[in-house]
Amino acid sequence: MLKYLIKRILWMVPILIGISLISFFIMHLAPGDITSNEAAFNPETSEESRQKLRELYNLDKPVIVQYGLWLKRMVKLDFGHSFKSHQKPVFLGTTDKDGNYTKGLIEQALPITLMINLLGLAITLLLAIPLGVLSARKYQQWQDKSITLFNFIGFSIPGFWLSLLLMYWLGVVNDWLPISGLHNLNYEHLDTWGKIKDTASHLVLPVLIPSITGLASITLFVKNGMLDVLHQDYITTARAKGLTEHKVVYTHALRNALLPLITIIGLSIPGLIGGSVISETIFAIDGMGKLFFDAVTSRDFPVVMGILTIGSALTLLGNLIADIAYAWADPRVRRGVARG
Amino acid sequence: MNSNLFNKVLENPLSKAGFVIIVSIFLLAMLAPLIAPYDPNDFDVKSILLAPSWQHWMGTDGLGRDVFSRMLYGGRVSLLVGFVAVGISTAIGIILGALAGYYRGWVDTVIMRLVDVMLSIPSFFLILAVIAFLTPSIINIMVVIGLTSWMSVTRLVRAEFLSLNDREFIMASRTLGAKDARIIFSHLLPNSLTPIIVSAVLGVAGAVLMESGLSFLGLGVQPPHASWGNILTDGKEYIQFAWWLSLFPGMAILITVLGYNLLGEGLRDALDPRSEAK
Repeated sequence: MLKYLIKRILWMVPILIGISLISFFIMHLAPGDITSNEAAFNPETSEESRQKLRELYNLDKPVIVQYGLWLKRMVKLDFGHSFKSHQKPVFLGTTDKDGNYTKGLIEQALPITLMINLLGLAITLLLAIPLGVLSARKYQQWQDKSITLFNFIGFSIPGFWLSLLLMYWLGVVNDWLPISGLHNLNYEHLDTWGKIKDTASHLVLPVLIPSITGLASITLFVKNGMLDVLHQDYITTARAKGLTEHKVVYTHALRNALLPLITIIGLSIPGLIGGSVISETIFAIDGMGKLFFDAVTSRDFPVVMGILTIGSALTLLGNLIADIAYAWADPRVRRGVARG
Repeated sequence: MNSNLFNKVLENPLSKAGFVIIVSIFLLAMLAPLIAPYDPNDFDVKSILLAPSWQHWMGTDGLGRDVFSRMLYGGRVSLLVGFVAVGISTAIGIILGALAGYYRGWVDTVIMRLVDVMLSIPSFFLILAVIAFLTPSIINIMVVIGLTSWMSVTRLVRAEFLSLNDREFIMASRTLGAKDARIIFSHLLPNSLTPIIVSAVLGVAGAVLMESGLSFLGLGVQPPHASWGNILTDGKEYIQFAWWLSLFPGMAILITVLGYNLLGEGLRDALDPRSEAK
């Protein structure tokens, strides 16, 4: 297992280098020198910060040297400072000489996006597993057909449109739910219970909408997995032993049908992070997506490159965790790993 | 595609619906100049934010433009972006997948690592950054979506090639002294075509959604050109007193994407020998 782990982690190094090359290349896509007015059209950019930028990226040196130096700083997790946002550090916070800690932009935004996506994923799984199982058990019957139709619509509905409609219906017409941000203005004055209630009501829409749109693919996946498993011999054996249908389906079949789901969840991470751009912009939530969108539109290069790199590293990490979880859950893989 | 397959797809009511949707939208978009009752970019200060009526089937927007006409022209953008973007990604995918699957060895390793790299970067971030830095335009959107979505086709073609490579007819052809190019283009590729078509049809659905999302964020098709995504963005501002601006473009995106998904899955079922066994 340890050998597998080490191999798996070493494997990530060339991929990380590739990712850094692409992020670096993107910065150079912008027309002209990245410190020129054309590129950094943000009027807040002062001559001083432009000079800082030139120094930061060593723009007077050849491109290959620039990349090398950038990579060297990146290894130390130093992504520089934002052009906007009062020169806040991009990734991790710093403590100045007076001992004041300034939180990094990504450090601040990442937990919010992670929390929303993990909650969304939990809801998706809670709904998708029973729906997928039902669809497989009632294959080609009306239950399966309705779930399939629902899946197709879920696949096809633009999340931002659904957000807009629900926001209007639940937040504007009926005033049941708040429609922007994570907290009310009076948040600081609420008691603990009030704070929880306030945050929860703000989270309903941003969490629910991605889980509705993500539901379709997971349900379909569970259904196909179950269909494959239900025809296998060991299920027939379990039935022949006289086990109840519930036990056959939920303890024997489901376990094996769910195994590949681990990989699918790992693979869905970049989509989840990327998808946060639209939902966070709509609901005015200060997570990674909104931070990235604001950085892109104001050409805040250090933030853009930082998020691209961190977002990709997170994806790699997610896939690694998924692979380890898979090996842990599936004895066939685990044994195979031990031997190899 | 042979006619047998075509009939098989049309037997399934869901994929038949998908086919009818796509053909109708295609016709509406192509015939937009003939059908559209107004010029899509014509301002009319006397008819701002009118509700749907006989004069304006889908109402008018904040500048008094006819929404139905704008929807028709927006449909052209969606079709164009979908087809061109998928054309680009499919072409790249076929070339890289064929190289990896046919030559294997280090070529395969390099290409597959490139796929891994591209798959680990959240593609929406990548697309957003590239388009914003290059300045948004229809051409840039099509190219960038194409350049960031070729990975699944590459994997698909590679897998097909790998499994076909050891089959007798390929070996026979090789023994007869056929050149690499001949084996690839007249034997391997035609036999891998069906899954490529399925993935292309489903890919169009993804590209349409992506374009509308980008336009919704203001980084897609730029005004005054109409796109379903940017009609919706305008509609967002007026949602309290002009529901039609938000409803119709969203419905159009939903129906179009649904059409491609239904057709794509129908094709997959029709082509999958396992589907009959289930």
